[in-house]
Amino acid sequence: MRNPLLSIGAALVLLLAVCAATATWIAPYDPNGQDILARLSGPSAAHWLGTDNFGRDVASRILAGLRVLFAVSSVSVLAALLLGGTIGIVAAWRGGWTERVAMRLMDVFFAFPIILLAIGVVAVLGPGVIGTAIAIGVVYTPIFARSLRAPARLLLASDYVEAARATGAGTRRILLRHLLPNLAPVILVQASLSLSTAMLVEASLSFLGLGTQPPTASLGRMLAESRAFMALSPWPALFSGLAILVAAFGFNLLGDGLQDRLDPRLRGRS
Amino acid sequence: MIRAALARLAELAVVALGVSVLVFLMIHLIPGDAAQVMLGADDVGAAQVAALRERLGLDRPLPVQFARWLWRAVQGDFGASIWTGRPVIDEIAGRAGITAELTALALGLALLLSVPAGCVMAAMRSSVSDYAVRIVSIVGVTMPSFWLGAMLLVLATTLLPGVAVIGYVPFDDDPWGHLQRLALPALALSLPVLAALSRILRAAMIDSLGQDYVRTARAKGVAEWRVVAVHALRNALIPFVTSAGIMAGYLFGGSVVLEQVFAIPGLGRLMVGAIAERNYPLVQAAILLATLAFVGVNLLVDLLYLAIDPRARRGSAA
Amino acid sequence: MIRPIRATLLAACLLAPLAVRAQTLEIATDQSPVGLDPHIATAFSTALIDSAIYEGLTAIDAGLRVVPALAASWTVSADGKVYVFKLRDGANFHNGRAMVPADIEANIARVRDPKTGSPFASRFTSITKVETGADTVTITLEQPQAAFLGQLAGLAIVAPEAVAELGRKPVGTGPFKLVSWIPDTAITLERHTGYWEPGLPKLAAVKFNIVPDAATRQIGVASGTYRMLPSLDAATATALAGAPGVTLLQAQDLAYSVLGLNVTKAPFDKPEVREAFNMAIDRAQLVQAAYFGRGVPGGPLSPALTSWALPVSDFPCYKPNAEGAKKKLAEAGVTLPLKVTLNVLGSLPIVVDVAQVVQAQLNKAGFAVTLNVQEQGKFIADWRASNFEGFVSLNGGSPDPDDYFGRTFQTGGATNVFKYSNPEIDQLLNDGRVETNTAKRKAIYDKAQRILACTGPAMALAYGTLFTAVRDDVAGFTPLATRSLRSLRETSIGK
Repeated sequence: MRNPLLSIGAALVLLLAVCAATATWIAPYDPNGQDILARLSGPSAAHWLGTDNFGRDVASRILAGLRVLFAVSSVSVLAALLLGGTIGIVAAWRGGWTERVAMRLMDVFFAFPIILLAIGVVAVLGPGVIGTAIAIGVVYTPIFARSLRAPARLLLASDYVEAARATGAGTRRILLRHLLPNLAPVILVQASLSLSTAMLVEASLSFLGLGTQPPTASLGRMLAESRAFMALSPWPALFSGLAILVAAFGFNLLGDGLQDRLDPRLRGRS
Repeated sequence: MIRAALARLAELAVVALGVSVLVFLMIHLIPGDAAQVMLGADDVGAAQVAALRERLGLDRPLPVQFARWLWRAVQGDFGASIWTGRPVIDEIAGRAGITAELTALALGLALLLSVPAGCVMAAMRSSVSDYAVRIVSIVGVTMPSFWLGAMLLVLATTLLPGVAVIGYVPFDDDPWGHLQRLALPALALSLPVLAALSRILRAAMIDSLGQDYVRTARAKGVAEWRVVAVHALRNALIPFVTSAGIMAGYLFGGSVVLEQVFAIPGLGRLMVGAIAERNYPLVQAAILLATLAFVGVNLLVDLLYLAIDPRARRGSAA
Repeated sequence: MIRPIRATLLAACLLAPLAVRAQTLEIATDQSPVGLDPHIATAFSTALIDSAIYEGLTAIDAGLRVVPALAASWTVSADGKVYVFKLRDGANFHNGRAMVPADIEANIARVRDPKTGSPFASRFTSITKVETGADTVTITLEQPQAAFLGQLAGLAIVAPEAVAELGRKPVGTGPFKLVSWIPDTAITLERHTGYWEPGLPKLAAVKFNIVPDAATRQIGVASGTYRMLPSLDAATATALAGAPGVTLLQAQDLAYSVLGLNVTKAPFDKPEVREAFNMAIDRAQLVQAAYFGRGVPGGPLSPALTSWALPVSDFPCYKPNAEGAKKKLAEAGVTLPLKVTLNVLGSLPIVVDVAQVVQAQLNKAGFAVTLNVQEQGKFIADWRASNFEGFVSLNGGSPDPDDYFGRTFQTGGATNVFKYSNPEIDQLLNDGRVETNTAKRKAIYDKAQRILACTGPAMALAYGTLFTAVRDDVAGFTPLATRSLRSLRETSIGK
């Protein structure tokens, strides 16, 4: 294996994804099940990662939180990819005024500091899973539009596509046979790096109380709420933070490794 | 070159207008308005809410409100805060400085440490150190700064009980206390940037150490430290500087959350609070100015890049 | 020659702020006030700071008794309709002007003026006449109003010439006056040298630091950065118990957590369904879980109102009975589980905690509860428009039953967002309002409490213990059930 980090990243993402997908079955407890007598206990045989202020099992809540984190970030990044990618490619394809207008519009969104745009969108839609997913989707749309437009432009101007055009290939054929396969590496890399940062945005929003709402488990919210009890039990705050870190780390490692593997020219530029 | 710069400036104006419209729509779409938030959940009739709404000028149609705001904003008058009645510019000025200082401290710390770190890491190249550098830098980049801040806070209050590490005092009142309170958030904020910058610099250094002019310098018998520190570093700094624009945005985002954790009265808290309070003129002006600052920094970086690297001129003319 | 002078100046500059700081009480609180006009803004965050800036004719003490404040004394006519207040000598506004009887008249007029939009207007609608003497104010009511003296404590007296900018430049007669307000950061008050009571206030200044993060406030008081955290919730208090150098002061809170239902939405219009809610809720467990055992289950009136509130053992539906609740629901013809969405006021952590426990309890008794945690502005908008099936919130109580019951449960009452209408309750409240015989009045409110407790639209859940954390060197502070910081005037630093 040429790059063990890529394998580690892929394995980590796969492991977390499986955990998130099977959270309902593998969680030892109901993530919302309260047991007041056992509240704020440290790691033990019964509760591997301890319990929170309602006596809920931290391990089960982290699994449930991972599920939400994965769902929110992947849905929003996928939506951003579809929307932003389309805008970027269409802009590159049409050029001229379409490109100018589309890209300036993207600039407007891109110009917002990410967290503020997300806070604003959440404020409009109301806090919660759906608001957060849409907010992150809006935030990442210009990122995909920008990162796909430039390579799409280069490809469209390349001799290779020119040749295809000259031989009478239609729009559809150029798009599917020539453009998309060649953009795939960029898409893959950008998507996994975006997933990594999207997770951090979701966690930040939930930490500020704007993301996923109780009683649905959310890692950022868990961290924010358990901070108040750190004097009594530091475990929930510690473990929920670590879970966010590991999830974001896995996707970043994967994206980084993919970037190296698929596009050596980009090596080292994060 | 000048044409490109002018075009960019014109685009900046378009972006600013777009942002204004967007922010205006956004904050007025938020359910519940300032009059309701101000009166709270007490025994108030609809007539009383309407009376207050009229007094705040919130009863007019949205396009009229926006046109009034825009007309005054163009003349430099951004209105007054609904809650305190002070001009929003004064409110923002007092807070922006604090966020700017926190951001600058964090960026400075990151720059200061990443240059030696990047150089050393480039010099000690091996496959093992390659992986180690990557893992450490990715951990650094993906570390949630609010978590790091919270952990540092707990650590500091356990190890140094009685030392004030939260809140804010102006530098003029108490210079030492001022820095003491900014130290932890600046540290938490700088770590991810430090990780990213070190890695960028290391890659650029490795790249430029392989270039012809470095080989030439070495062949001429220039001392190795001079080769690294002067010849290679100078060129490696170009991609390093251009990534500062992206970092500025990142630092601001991190500072919004850390201001909350460390009770620092910066721009981030001002904006989060203003949105919750539906303080329309304040949100409007604060987001517009923050966005312009952000776009401005990126524009500056772009122009710098344009000036340094002639190849970029052709590619970025769109 | 220059050097020593400069050194002295430097020393003076360095020492001056320190000297001031030594007598400044640093307080940390969670939310910014929403303007400081006491006749308009009534949020907890505003009332807290206003209680150090303004005073009323009367005040409420730690035992919830009405005591003199700006009125040195008063007499009430035999028919309970005419009140004569003798004003305090030497009471001055923060702008230096002495307070006169005409100021009281102007304040009452301002609160009653519909253009002011004051939430307090409804409490003073029965005033027919206000007359002023040399140092007296005579207020005549249309009918006797038993709660009137207590309600006057809530009418902060402001300087009439300053009302235009009162929200940001408050001018009252209280022990402290505003020096600076940095939004979302800090509000600094300094001693009002013209305060009427000699020797008070003792502190040179009070600084309210706005610190939204509970964990940060906790660390701040534990490390000595802040000297006082008022109105703590039980969770933070539990975490602070035993922290060296920190003392926890207690009072019974008048505010209570509550689950309210919209009775215009089926099946919440059925009294049996509302009773089932009560039976499904285990209040004792709720107090343990959400309040860390630091509170008491509550009926419609706060247990702090010792002379009025019935013990919760008087309400049969308060006995937790999940099976009984299911049976009640079945009797009412509801198919189980009964789906209900509760709006939750997200800005107060205790409310979110209470909602989660209640949800778990209800779900075991035939309900399927969805929580809709809302940001404050949205919550208030929906609440005001009765746009909810049910909600969980924290309500501020009142030291008098009529004041609270009237606006909350009477048909068309200002905060009757439940749209509750019960002729029997309306009649009881009308009778209680004009009854001046205390024993008879008590009998009326006993009956109202029994009705409201089990089948009323609002289920009072629990009254928390109100904690105030202070550093050990803070002396003379008494927490009040009303959350007022009136006793800051007697507070000092240093043993």
